Amino acid sequence: MHSLNTKTRALLGGCCLAMALALQTGVASAESVLRIGMTAGDIPRTLGQPDQGFEGNRFTGLTMYDALTQWDLSSAEDASVVIPGLATEWSVNEDDQTKWTFVLREGVTFHDGSPFDADAVVWNVQKVLDEDALHYDASQVGVTASRMPTLRSATKIDEYTVELTTSEPDSFLPINLTNLFMASPAKWQEFFDGASGDDTAKAAAAWDAFARDASGTGPWIMESFAPRERLELVKNDDYWDAGRVPNVDRLVLYPMPEANARTAALLSGQVDWIEAPAPDAIAQIESRGFVIHKNEAPHVWPWQFSRIEGSPWNDVNVRQAANLCIDREGMRDGLLAGLMAPATGAVEEGHPWRGDVTFNITFDPDEGRRLMEESGFSAENRLSVKALTSASGSGQMQPLPMNEYIQQALGECYFDVELEVLEWNTLFTNWRQGAKDPASLGAHSTNVTFATMDPFFALVRFLQSGMAAPVSNNWGYINEPLYDELVEKARRTFEPEARDAALAELHAASVNDAAFLYVAHDVSPRAMSPNVQNVIQPKSWFIDFSPISIEE
Amino acid sequence: MLVYLAKRLAYTVPIVFSVALVCFMLVHLSPGDPLISILPADASVELEQRLRIQYGFDRPLPVQFWIWISNALSGDLGASIANGRPVLSEVLQAVRNTLLLACTAAVLGFALGMFFGLVAGYFRDSWIDKLATSIAIAGVSVPHYWLGMVLVIIFSVQLNWLPAVGAGPGNWSWTWTHLQYLVLPAVTMAVIPMGIITRTVRALVGDILSNDFVDALRAKGLGEGRVFLHVIKNAAPTAIAVMGLQLGYLLGGSILIETVFSWPGTGFLLNTAIFQRDLPLLQGTILVLALFFVFLNLFVDMLQAMIDPRIKRG
Amino acid sequence: MAIATEPLTEIAVAEKRRGYWGTVGKRLTRDPVSMICAGMLGLIFLAAIFAPYLGLPDPYQGSMIRRLQPFGTAGHPLGTDELGRDMLSRLIHGGRLSLLIGILPVFNAFIIGTLLGVIAGYNGGWANSAIMRTIDVFYAFPSVLLAIAISGALGAGILNSIVSLTIVFIPPIARVAESVTTSVRNLDFVDAARASGAGAMTIMRVHVMGNVLGPIFVYATSLISVSMILAAGLSFLGLGTRPPQPEWGLMLNTLRTAIYVNPWLAALPGVMIFAVSIGFNLLSDGLRSAMDIRN
Repeated sequence: MHSLNTKTRALLGGCCLAMALALQTGVASAESVLRIGMTAGDIPRTLGQPDQGFEGNRFTGLTMYDALTQWDLSSAEDASVVIPGLATEWSVNEDDQTKWTFVLREGVTFHDGSPFDADAVVWNVQKVLDEDALHYDASQVGVTASRMPTLRSATKIDEYTVELTTSEPDSFLPINLTNLFMASPAKWQEFFDGASGDDTAKAAAAWDAFARDASGTGPWIMESFAPRERLELVKNDDYWDAGRVPNVDRLVLYPMPEANARTAALLSGQVDWIEAPAPDAIAQIESRGFVIHKNEAPHVWPWQFSRIEGSPWNDVNVRQAANLCIDREGMRDGLLAGLMAPATGAVEEGHPWRGDVTFNITFDPDEGRRLMEESGFSAENRLSVKALTSASGSGQMQPLPMNEYIQQALGECYFDVELEVLEWNTLFTNWRQGAKDPASLGAHSTNVTFATMDPFFALVRFLQSGMAAPVSNNWGYINEPLYDELVEKARRTFEPEARDAALAELHAASVNDAAFLYVAHDVSPRAMSPNVQNVIQPKSWFIDFSPISIEE
Repeated sequence: MLVYLAKRLAYTVPIVFSVALVCFMLVHLSPGDPLISILPADASVELEQRLRIQYGFDRPLPVQFWIWISNALSGDLGASIANGRPVLSEVLQAVRNTLLLACTAAVLGFALGMFFGLVAGYFRDSWIDKLATSIAIAGVSVPHYWLGMVLVIIFSVQLNWLPAVGAGPGNWSWTWTHLQYLVLPAVTMAVIPMGIITRTVRALVGDILSNDFVDALRAKGLGEGRVFLHVIKNAAPTAIAVMGLQLGYLLGGSILIETVFSWPGTGFLLNTAIFQRDLPLLQGTILVLALFFVFLNLFVDMLQAMIDPRIKRG
Repeated sequence: MAIATEPLTEIAVAEKRRGYWGTVGKRLTRDPVSMICAGMLGLIFLAAIFAPYLGLPDPYQGSMIRRLQPFGTAGHPLGTDELGRDMLSRLIHGGRLSLLIGILPVFNAFIIGTLLGVIAGYNGGWANSAIMRTIDVFYAFPSVLLAIAISGALGAGILNSIVSLTIVFIPPIARVAESVTTSVRNLDFVDAARASGAGAMTIMRVHVMGNVLGPIFVYATSLISVSMILAAGLSFLGLGTRPPQPEWGLMLNTLRTAIYVNPWLAALPGVMIFAVSIGFNLLSDGLRSAMDIRN
């Protein structure tokens, strides 16, 4: 692999990559390196559309690539919102709201030196949406198309303008596009021309080669890649955003799926930074002088209520009472050793989608019991509810202890909670099957956690009546005309602030109605050695590696 | 002799084919969606259908098997669903790491087992014999993944002498930087073959010593040292054969140890493939490991046949 | 981990005679090692069987403020696990599933493997080829790999691990049964029975089974130790029992994250697996030498 890379580079003699390398060997002694242990079991895919969920985007998407739009990761306090990326501005066609015009940033080049332009955007849309394109790659479709469900095609208007077409009017498109990373068509074509066999075989070989020697426009350039072992990136001195040229010379990523392995690697100095340290080891990590960074993540740990006929959660008093009976601060400080943030909605105060929430979710068991009594329940006449959960699972935090905690807390408010523990995959699959499915075992709530970066995934798929099984994740068959109306309104409001206002209206309505039992937000903890400086952990699944420096 | 070898070789062909069939059936008859690793649960039904056709999972199983086996014959095990890389290169990379671990463990286990076995057999029923036998029985009875954990607790957590997990930074080299990562997993892995070799060799030595020719040698006035050498010479072939088979078990059984030590070998690969339901990777890894075992068996049989001309099995 | 690396057919085919098993039993009781092992195993079994009546704390009842307590904590002599559940209670209750999924596969395989092996060995010819060649295919997989592949395919669960381990142990048992049967079939007394007009079934049942079961039984007991380790290993990988059920392998798995907090607590379930495994191994050795009439 190394020799192959060297050969390719030799052929590319004179291109900026080789120059950057030559420069680098000159100053190798002063090189600063940041080594990170990821939770993934393998290096997320490097060819542009990463797998491994948001961790993939964090490490092999946003580092080497850019998208037309991007998340603002510059603040730890403010909500992370969408800002211009490789597109400088965009607007929807007033006459046909399925057509968007994106104006591209000029003067951006890929790592191989080829220019970023409208053709490159069209090419990158085709790679996942045009089955007839030579470079269409089925393996990238699953992770990409599901995150931009309405995008259909792209056409070039002029060198720096493209028109994107959606299947229906959809104001969420600019947010979706943060997930479509721009890979270099020129570099791919070079690999394609160099391969042998029929066109299908050549295309497959070209993608395989591209994954090993990738080219994007991002602040980091791929340097070497050993599958399942490590990925080395070097800084892109010519990055188009001068303010985000990395401070550190080299970024090395190691897959370390075992929490103990990551912890040991950090403590022994094998890496400088680990994602998600083992919770039980945090005390020891801190006592040895290492630093824990965390911040509220766009994530919700809820109970999602069944609203089918006969479900006790159809009574708004009961839903609100449950929300008032949980001591979220106590849960954070005791059970989770600080590794959660209390949830009082899908998004918190300060987020543009928060809205005018009047139902204040706090710990107020007296009010909770009053509401229960209003609905006819008491210490003698208790309400039995059955709740689904899993023993483990990605993003589920500590499902069993947390559910047992809730079980006890709700017990104080006249609830009798029966927990039904399913295997993680079964629970996850059931999310799509809905509360009426036999696999739901007649439960009244389910407990799958979710990310809230995109309005569709945060709100729409749970609240819109058309999203019930088998379409999407409206597990409980919520059928609220007000929600449907607000969803439509948000989708068709194209001015970003007005769109956010419409989403805020939807969010506030759902919280006031206690559509979920909101429990916790993850805080995506990471531990690092004290000489890693300038770490800004935003309220996001992502983090910007550019400002980080290493103090010797 | 030649007839036996030819027969043994010919018999390997149907075995290899059946092993491939079993691999395929195991992986494909199981419940669970092979697209799960690339398709989020919130993907639309239409998208799922489209990908199913593009990956060929909509075709009848016999057709899928035929495509897989004919490609496999030309050295193409397909591409991993999760990461799109060719399965063969993934597996070979992992096999290299596992071989490194398993061979080190095998050498270690063989050396210790030979030593304990010879000593125990030679000084039968003495306290040395009892000690060696106890070590051997503990070796074959210990849950090795637990032993690995205990060693990590002692040497990594408490004494901080050796790294707990992983194979070290960067490419492997025979330097202490990397060797220190090999110590604990190799010792853990060596325990079972050590126990088995000890027991085998002890029994062999007993048999050899009870033979008349030993008495004859002694009667001829040969020193005990020479007699002992004779015993080693007679016990070695069988011990080597047993060790050869053990190496196969070590390769196939490394998953538990690799999990404890996060060693990037075939076990690690298998674990990932199982939990991601990455079918091409899963069946490819199992096939390569099983074939390795089949050919190792063949090799050991042939070696034995050559060493011991009395064998006329068929 | 190996199955059948030591020659077993060397156990002489016992002549069926009155008092043989009595003699074996007597010799076994005179062996102190075997008796200690039997005592220890008996204790573990009894504790597991009667676990709910021993007045132990609820093995499922956790407490968030009492997580990972050290040994000797009041009310928790062996401390508490990662969810604050009583370790002693979980270790004892864990024996129920661990022993079940460790021993049942060997028992199943003993029955199925013996039947297959005896049928193959007694009939020879076509039946022998069909059975033994199929078994060869499964024998071509290393046992751990096969167990993991089957469990991985079937998915996690108690029943699935029992099925997968049963499949793993059938081939070696069937092989032993076949070779012992083949050698017994050619002995004089079977010919005599055949000449006196006994049916095939009778011959198989009385003469063959009577002489074959002993050696296979000894062999099967030696597999229990391997089976215990493998079964717990499957759970350790997340392919066996599921949380929150107490089971030794799974406990080892979930306690692993605690090695930086309370290391020796995390090692405790392995001690149980080790104890049972070594107990069965020594007992099996004792049984083998007691049955070896040459001694």
